[in-house]
Amino acid sequence: MKILKYSDVTPYNFYLNRRKFVEALGLASLAFVPTPTLAKKSYSTNAKPNTIEEITNYNNFYEFGTSKTDPAKYAQSLTTDPWEITFEGVSQNKKKFDLAEILKGKAIRERIYRLRCVEGWSMVIPWMGFPLRDLINELELDNNAKFVAFETVYRPTEMRGQKRATLDWPYREGLTIEEALHPLTFIATGLYGKELPNQNGAPFRLVVPWKYGFKSIKSITKISFTKEQPYTTWSSENPREYGFYSNVNPNVDHPRWSQATERVIGEGLFGERRKTELFNGYIEEVGDLYKGMDLKKYY
Amino acid sequence: MTSSILFKSLPVSLLYCILLIPIPLYFYWGIVNQLGPDPLRFLEHKYGELGLIFLLVTLSISPLFKYVKINLVRYRRCIGLVSFYYIVSHICVYFFLDIGLSIDILLSDLQKRYYIIAGFFAFITLIPLALTSNNFALRKLNIKTWNKIHSFVYIAIILSIFHFILMSKTWTGELYFYTGITILILILKIKSTKLYKKLSTYSNADISK
Repeated sequence: MKILKYSDVTPYNFYLNRRKFVEALGLASLAFVPTPTLAKKSYSTNAKPNTIEEITNYNNFYEFGTSKTDPAKYAQSLTTDPWEITFEGVSQNKKKFDLAEILKGKAIRERIYRLRCVEGWSMVIPWMGFPLRDLINELELDNNAKFVAFETVYRPTEMRGQKRATLDWPYREGLTIEEALHPLTFIATGLYGKELPNQNGAPFRLVVPWKYGFKSIKSITKISFTKEQPYTTWSSENPREYGFYSNVNPNVDHPRWSQATERVIGEGLFGERRKTELFNGYIEEVGDLYKGMDLKKYY
Repeated sequence: MTSSILFKSLPVSLLYCILLIPIPLYFYWGIVNQLGPDPLRFLEHKYGELGLIFLLVTLSISPLFKYVKINLVRYRRCIGLVSFYYIVSHICVYFFLDIGLSIDILLSDLQKRYYIIAGFFAFITLIPLALTSNNFALRKLNIKTWNKIHSFVYIAIILSIFHFILMSKTWTGELYFYTGITILILILKIKSTKLYKKLSTYSNADISK
């Protein structure tokens, strides 16, 4: 079985623990049949993934509190099933989809990405999911869509952090349409071969590996295709510190700290810092998107 | 009653031991990887936070005595020095582990990063206080000079709270709490100054006319 590739990096057996989820995926994708895209190894990093304990106990998910350990403590209160996603800026009649409908027929694959947080740390995460463009290609977009806007669910009764105005809820993020259609841009629905834990953005989150982690919005409930650059939470909260693009770039400092290096989560108290790479190491893949752009100006 | 007896009977040397134990203990937990996925940031923040807490406790002792009649004055020097040791530990983690002894990073942080500048000056301000927190200095120095040196602590707490605010991404619950306590302490201090009393007698006199 090709699936063994997975066991190279994880102590976990490959399985899905919820029958409902398996059903939702549809019979065709049950076996996670390797697709040509899976063979394209370059998209995943060869670095050793962090442990599931590290990945699920060190999260920035302010909807559940501002401490890194809050999401693991409080995210269980979020209902992720049923889950609906609304689309705007599409010309098809049906705009609202159940998650199961969206996942139907999607070839779920693994992507191991390094997540570089704007705070200056990184960890390596084996996601399960599919490229966002697999979804976008199924939609009938309005002709002049230039951007894609994403919105996290707003449910203060289940997300205790939303009861306080820490941020201007709901959390919102955005990409240019070119960025959204890039094969690296990924929708994660699983982690380490299992369902995505709530604290990691269940049931449906974005992962954009060449941008700082906060661009990779969690628990998405709305996706809009727009002409204008959409509102994005952190860049509106503090435009001087967080830009719309927020590409990983060791040469452009955050005003309050250097971005030249990063702490590697899991390396312990005496771990050495890692040199941060331009576009988090994906310069070959995404460099063309920003050709001629002043990355210091459009940070 | 029991608690006040306990306070009175607690020897200062024992209090030093109790309050300082977390420094080696957290460090040990860090070495054996018991501080979560990011032990370095945990240790750095924990020492810093405890330093701030003990500094605030030190500053609360005089208003507690004045307004609530709880007398902890004889522990003030101890708690103040404990705070200083936590701050030294905090800076050691930053310098030895976080930036890995890099003078280059230190200098660039001190030029560019406002929160580090604020924290650095808070520490500098506290050094003369720590050095004169002993009976020898108390005997050698004129009490007015000694008091003046120790009033720097209010500058240190303002700088420390700015250090905390400037490094934070958003206003968290802790940040509101520590800032609130700091403001309260500063208000009570201002109210007890001679200048404030003078001004308020003048304005009261104006009103009564």
